[in-house]
Amino acid sequence: MTDANREMTKKEASIPEGVERTKPRSVFKPDVDIMEQKDDTVLTADLPGVDERSLDITLEKSVITIRGTVAPEIPAGFRLVYGEYAVGDYERAFTLSDEVDKDRIQATVKNGVLKLVLPKAAAAKARRISVTGA
Amino acid sequence: MDFRNLIPFSKKNIDIRRDEENPFAMMQREMNRIFDSFSRNWEAIEFPEATGPFTPRMDVAEDAKAFTVTAELPGMSEKDIDLSLSGDTLMIRGEKNQEKEDKGRNYRYSERSYGSFSRSIPLPRQVDADKVSASFSRGVLTITLPKSSAVLDERKKISVRSE
Repeated sequence: MTDANREMTKKEASIPEGVERTKPRSVFKPDVDIMEQKDDTVLTADLPGVDERSLDITLEKSVITIRGTVAPEIPAGFRLVYGEYAVGDYERAFTLSDEVDKDRIQATVKNGVLKLVLPKAAAAKARRISVTGA
Repeated sequence: MDFRNLIPFSKKNIDIRRDEENPFAMMQREMNRIFDSFSRNWEAIEFPEATGPFTPRMDVAEDAKAFTVTAELPGMSEKDIDLSLSGDTLMIRGEKNQEKEDKGRNYRYSERSYGSFSRSIPLPRQVDADKVSASFSRGVLTITLPKSSAVLDERKKISVRSE
């Protein structure tokens, strides 16, 4: 497999130590982009097959966990005859810094892409200090 | 003269970090994929292998009446996908653009891939090309390729008589 091909291949999520999975399906680690701008940090994650009802985002202390469940993409009665990708759930956790205002986190999902807006807390924003001539 | 413009590695660009993978895990996954492909037999459609920097993966399923081709295309909409049928070949083209509102943002981390792709699927003889349909939902494209009624009829015409 070439480097270029690797980018489109889904990666299996790592299983936390001492935890057994109860469902016999694959769990993938979604690909994310993280961008920072003046007032917030934006996290986008590719979660094909996930919509607002099947997505579960939890914030516990400073760890935000994204869990998405995917319904089987093969219609009932069909059997898989050729497979390049596997269908499975998604799971990934991020530790937020104190800079993030945890009460104002917003999440939207469209076309299988989650956009998580993490606003900066007032204390963490860069401030301009005006200088006045004496 | 502004020398900063001459330096290709400006401050903006060096912040992106790529997720590096363990090469052994990669090899193991590839081996698993090869073994998986032995257990699935694929007689009906000759499917060209995925190549190129941005090529979505596709799965194909079959029942008695139709084939379905599914592809995971997160972040694309039905407008970004172009499906065309010429002769016996189904061509899927698409482009995934980075979000337009990126100006003024600094990338801290980047794993998702963007670009354009095209894949062609040679349709098997038994597909009724006039009845091919496609739908797009939650970032997943599903193409339904019904088998032609002629083929379905052909299959039913064997009867065994007792003597």
